[in-house]
Amino acid sequence: MLGYIVRRVLATIPVMGVVALFVFSLLYLAPGDPAAVIAGDQASPEQIALIRASLGLDRPFLVRFGEWAWRIAHGDLGTSIFTNLPVAHMIAQRIEPTLSLMLLTLVVSLLIAVPLGVLAAARQGSTVDRVVMLLAVLGFSTPVFVIGYLLAYVFALRLDWFPVQGYVPLAGGFWPFLRALILPAATLGGIYIALIARITRASMLEVLSQDYIRTARAKGLGQRAVLFVHALKNAAVPIVTVVGLGVALLIGGAVVTESVFAIPGLGRLTVDAILRRDYPVIQGVVLLFSFAYVVINLLVDLLYTLFDPRIRY
Amino acid sequence: MSARLPGDAGEALAEALPELLSPPRRRGAVGGFIHRHPGIAAGGALVVLMAAIAVFAPILGTVDPTALAPARRLRPPSAMYWFGTDMLGRDVYSRVIYGARVSLVVGFAVAVLASLLGTAIGLVGGFVRWLDALLMRVMDGLMSIPSILLAIALMALTRGSVRNVVIAITIAEVPRVARLVRGVVLGLRELPYVEAAVAAGTRSPMIILRHILPNTLAPLSVQATYICASAMITEAILSFIGAGTPPIIPSWGNIMAEGRALWQVKPYLVFFPAAFLSVTVLAVNLLGDGLRDALDPRLARKL
Repeated sequence: MLGYIVRRVLATIPVMGVVALFVFSLLYLAPGDPAAVIAGDQASPEQIALIRASLGLDRPFLVRFGEWAWRIAHGDLGTSIFTNLPVAHMIAQRIEPTLSLMLLTLVVSLLIAVPLGVLAAARQGSTVDRVVMLLAVLGFSTPVFVIGYLLAYVFALRLDWFPVQGYVPLAGGFWPFLRALILPAATLGGIYIALIARITRASMLEVLSQDYIRTARAKGLGQRAVLFVHALKNAAVPIVTVVGLGVALLIGGAVVTESVFAIPGLGRLTVDAILRRDYPVIQGVVLLFSFAYVVINLLVDLLYTLFDPRIRY
Repeated sequence: MSARLPGDAGEALAEALPELLSPPRRRGAVGGFIHRHPGIAAGGALVVLMAAIAVFAPILGTVDPTALAPARRLRPPSAMYWFGTDMLGRDVYSRVIYGARVSLVVGFAVAVLASLLGTAIGLVGGFVRWLDALLMRVMDGLMSIPSILLAIALMALTRGSVRNVVIAITIAEVPRVARLVRGVVLGLRELPYVEAAVAAGTRSPMIILRHILPNTLAPLSVQATYICASAMITEAILSFIGAGTPPIIPSWGNIMAEGRALWQVKPYLVFFPAAFLSVTVLAVNLLGDGLRDALDPRLARKL
């Protein structure tokens, strides 16, 4: 078991290495002089030279990558070209709203999607099943900002239940914090709920056709005990996998959701950085999100053994 | 109908049996197809409709979608301006109709390019053992960057253009196709008929062309539809946050981005492009689900 964990952790190192190399070389994949591209159209030659020197563009590629990776490993993500602040510092300032939004979305989505999926599987072919599957297709097809504007229009502008935009930090009280996050979380959760409900249904249908489910029913267990104790636990591995993989959707969706609801998080930081061509910030955010994604999926892999003791590597 | 005929007492005639099973209704070729594959029919029809809108945009009662008219700014939807006008006085209806072109071109181009590139990489990975590990590590690395972020990062450095958007989204989508094709290839390689072809001395290119590629087509076409849908959403997101097609081009993402500042007072600025985008993506997804059900009946029952 311990050997498996160690091997699995070690296996993520090359993946993270590829990610780092890619994020680093993005700057050099672009056509033209990266310093000129970063400086923008109105830059003077002196400004371009300054940026070139600050990026160390005059030295060999691998040397620069080595130095860059070394600094990253020590928590130094470089300095923003626009604000001259350390990127790590800027990210730390913006991480609370994004983390709150994603965690709330994750928890609420799971609480909604898993029961829906179980229900749809338990009554396969019924109206409930059809409605859930229809909602799943709609959830997949409606872009995040469409859901966002629709919810904001109905529940904030028309009904005035929630604030239209903005973010209240947790320090400003729990209820105001939650009230401001509910619409963004519902927006971000749409596609995630669709994804998880769908895989829960598929996985449950697979399990419900097994012999031990019939045995459980034969010995007189109630429907709820069969579904949630016997079946769901055995259906958990694919569900947990998709929960982990779906975090990529949450990350991408957070960028848009934060724009729609004017939440000052990492997504807004990214969008602002793009408009200013502040490349160290973009690199920092992409790297952070990607590493978080890899670590989450590593944890998911390790979780498998909890749900299925047969998995012993 | 009476059970007894007059005159012959004692003999009973059985009552006519009620029709338990209605005779199989005859359907024409088209009707039968719609009945068997409702998803493909509905999705396909909508996609064709959108494509027609894109192609015939100039003759659908549109004006120049970029024509400014400061005197007619922010008119609400009316008989004259079906979807209203935006803050520069441009006709939103014309912009939305022309916007279909950008979305469909990006979606289609990315689906085709990502399929071709991904198939090439997947075939190499599945056939060239020593390259496989390296290629797949690179694909794993790319896949662990959330695809929208990857596209954003790529777009941040290049100038916004439809071509660059297509390239950026393609790079983000290729790993999934490569993984899929490689998986299919590795499975097929073990099958007796492929082994027989190898034993018979068939060269690898011929094996790929004759035995491998045809078998990847079904899962590949399903995947390509999903990629098309996801590429259209990604394009709109990129344009929406200002990293996509240049603002001069009326794409749905751009129209929404421009309407954003005023959407609380003029919701129609965002509503119409949003509705068109959602319906188009829904159509492509329905087509994909339908294709998947038709091509893989085993999976259809479950998902």
